[in-house]
Amino acid sequence: MTDVAVHGLTKRFGGVTAVRDLSFAVTPGVTGFLGPNGAGKTTTLRMLLGLVRATAGSVTIGGRPYAELPHPRRVVGAMLDSIGFHPGRTGRQHLLISATAAGLPGSRVDEVLDTVGLTAGQAGRRVRGYSLGMRQRLGLAAALLGDPEVLVLDEPGNGLDPAGMAWLRRLLRDLGDDGRTIIVSSHVLAEVAQTADRVVIVNEGVLRYAGPVADLATPGGSLEDAFLRLTGASR
Amino acid sequence: MIIAAEFRKLRTVRSTWMLLGIAQLIVVAGVCGLMLNRDDRDSVAAQQGALAHVGLVALFSLLLGIMAIAGEYRHRTITDAYLATPRRERVVLAKLVVAAGAGLVLALTAAVTAVVTTVLWVGPALSLSSWELWRTLLGSIAWNVLFAAVGVGVGALVTNLIAAVATALAWIALVEGIVAQLLGDAGKWLPFALGSALESAPTSTGGPAPGWAGLALAAYAAALVAVAIATTVRRDVT
Repeated sequence: MTDVAVHGLTKRFGGVTAVRDLSFAVTPGVTGFLGPNGAGKTTTLRMLLGLVRATAGSVTIGGRPYAELPHPRRVVGAMLDSIGFHPGRTGRQHLLISATAAGLPGSRVDEVLDTVGLTAGQAGRRVRGYSLGMRQRLGLAAALLGDPEVLVLDEPGNGLDPAGMAWLRRLLRDLGDDGRTIIVSSHVLAEVAQTADRVVIVNEGVLRYAGPVADLATPGGSLEDAFLRLTGASR
Repeated sequence: MIIAAEFRKLRTVRSTWMLLGIAQLIVVAGVCGLMLNRDDRDSVAAQQGALAHVGLVALFSLLLGIMAIAGEYRHRTITDAYLATPRRERVVLAKLVVAAGAGLVLALTAAVTAVVTTVLWVGPALSLSSWELWRTLLGSIAWNVLFAAVGVGVGALVTNLIAAVATALAWIALVEGIVAQLLGDAGKWLPFALGSALESAPTSTGGPAPGWAGLALAAYAAALVAVAIATTVRRDVT
């Protein structure tokens, strides 16, 4: 049971404030992290992972900042757009390198390949030839290597076909039911509404809503209407 | 752990093996070219000149060092490295160790290639008992190791692979010569000149003694890596 706590988080890039005094807590289960493109979701997740330095505020995972976790990959698994693959390496080689760097046994590689549904044949091919969907699965496999309590997934549905999306929802639901703390970002509410227990909605770097999905809808209005209202979009 | 991962990274990209292979071709071609144009093949000076080609492939060690880190920025695999090891200075230092080791292996392989090629030209006349030859070989190997370390510093500092490689090549082909002219006598303390002095080839005259050249080159590498670590730990990874 590991909570993620965001406290007064602010990030300025030059004169642009990407994230402004953001505070929310994420508990075990699936939490959708929503907002339109450019809302500050990715920047927030990068600060959570210690990749980007916060201008002010903090993010803690089980009470500690990411950089101070003794075995970060065993606590937090991350899948970000900015985690790349060397096109000349095979999927398996990528995972083996990741596992070695994190001090995890090589046997985890086969286990996570199995979890994300990549076959031994696919894992033995160079990433250069992977489809977008296969890359997403490989990224997810890398995130799961350390069997982490916390999963941070930035737009994991990108590039997945409808069957892939259904598979991803089931996987996230199962992982969430295990008691893991899962943060899934998306700019489409419908993508996470069926899976998420709670949602955190940001717009222009400011928190707009944090709470159960069910409480989002106003009487007579759909979830989508509430989402669009909160993120300032008009129809 | 990190070192094992870095070693695996190095082994699983084709460019490592290509650099290793091309370096051998350069050494063979260089030794043959020199021997073709010399009447005194049996002399220590000619053989020293032949073996000095091992030092010249330090350019490849430099590229290996640069690619070890800037290549990771290019393919955005650096994110994964920093997630596994949030203390980024450890990642840079692990790369330093592995790149220096790779430079050593590249140089040793090139040394074998150079000796074998030289023997093919001069047969038993190879002056194995000459300290001069050994000094050139050892100096050349040290040049490779130190240039690999310099490469890690340059790669970590510049991070953009193309820019880092272009900077390194421009420095060697053009900039160092110009700076050396401006500096006058002090120009012999510039990195490439130090490498030449380190291998004490017959063509490098007037430079510092090999020991001092090695120390100075190590100081360059240490300074570059130190500055690179200072910027690496602060930089946002996006």
